[in-house]
Amino acid sequence: MHRRGVGAGAIAKKKLAEAKYKERGTVLAEDQLNQMSKQLDMFKTNLEEFASKHKQEIRKNPEFRVQFQDMCATIGVDPLASGKGFWSEMLGVGDFYYELGVQIIEVCLALRHRNGGLIMLEELHQQVLKGRGKFAQDVSQDDLIRAIKKLKALGTGFGIIPVGGTYLIQSVPAELNMDHTVVLQLAEKNGYVTVSEIQASLRWEKERARQVLEHLLKEGLAWLDLQAAGEAHYWLPALFTDLYSQEITAEEAREALP
Amino acid sequence: MAMSFEWPWQYRFPPFFTLQPNVDTRQKQLAAWCSLVLSFCRLHKQSSMTVMEAQESPLFNNVKLQRKLPVESIQIVLEELRKKGNLEWLDKNKSSFLIMWRRPEEWGKLIYQWGSRLSERSFCGYLKSCGLVVRRVSRSGQNNSVFTLYELTSGEDTEGEEFHGLDEATLLRALQALQQEHKAEIITLGDGRGVKFF
Repeated sequence: MHRRGVGAGAIAKKKLAEAKYKERGTVLAEDQLNQMSKQLDMFKTNLEEFASKHKQEIRKNPEFRVQFQDMCATIGVDPLASGKGFWSEMLGVGDFYYELGVQIIEVCLALRHRNGGLIMLEELHQQVLKGRGKFAQDVSQDDLIRAIKKLKALGTGFGIIPVGGTYLIQSVPAELNMDHTVVLQLAEKNGYVTVSEIQASLRWEKERARQVLEHLLKEGLAWLDLQAAGEAHYWLPALFTDLYSQEITAEEAREALP
Repeated sequence: MAMSFEWPWQYRFPPFFTLQPNVDTRQKQLAAWCSLVLSFCRLHKQSSMTVMEAQESPLFNNVKLQRKLPVESIQIVLEELRKKGNLEWLDKNKSSFLIMWRRPEEWGKLIYQWGSRLSERSFCGYLKSCGLVVRRVSRSGQNNSVFTLYELTSGEDTEGEEFHGLDEATLLRALQALQQEHKAEIITLGDGRGVKFF
């Protein structure tokens, strides 16, 4: 009759069994590893093929970029997540948006003294295209938004404010809360806004409206016009469409250099 | 008589004609006004103006936009220009002023450079015509050349120079600046005036 467990013999047996299992485990792991390694190699080769086939497209074609980004989003991948790594190195996606980000910063810096750090997406687009010249790849507004979102995530003070079906891009970390944003949206129609307009459209009290406008003046985003009919008009250079066709002057370009 | 003067974007921006309450914005505004005044006067070859003229000039009065810079603000712009050395009041009441798109010191420098080049050239030219080989060793040596004011602004030798056609008031101030630096002396020549470069 056998007694269970304890005793030197039992312990030794146990140890031997454990050792055997361990060995088996190691063998299994090695097998798996080998298999995984082979799969990874194949995966890598396929990816490299994919990359070389599509790298050109990614650089050249804005629509393709949108679709590519959507695809990545579906499978839970952010190709702009890190500067290094497969996506940016193999596909050059990161490079493209990084370079675009730099260009965006340059344009915003150069025009900041005019518009206080707020610029319409359309104007930004025009200026970026101009800066890229005839032979550079096409850049879409979608590209700009993605690059700016990236800049925003990096904590550079960039912001995106929806106005009238498009966007105002903020490039200085000015404090803009909901009240300010809403007034900006109201101002987008005419390029200026008044206290009465705010009272009428937003149904605010005079004081609330005045505070917002004072803040915009203080941040250098709005200029005061006392010669308008009726009451003071508050104009935003960022929304002043006349500016769009303006070239960036040499002085402004100098300001953009670090 | 506006010719092809390119107005800056600010000129079409209504608030440009209201003195801005925000200090930083005002600084930008005044800088833009100073720049505009100087380029406007330069193009229209206007070297002096009265404040009354200024008020009604298209410079400060944008009729199409229905905005004009109020006279108190014009005074502020003019004071900025004076501080920068581009404006001088011609009377105690500050009703008329001399406007110089280049400061007198800057004009002085250009004129002096021309003066030394010319005398050097003519001296070297003389030596060469004597059959001598001339090799420049140093930049100095103005030979105490003398020119009339007329020669400076209207002579053949200054055609193509920026100061050709310069008004006498500005020219005198430029030469006075040189005099201060002991680089020239304003002298009487016949019934007019001239300058001797050192």
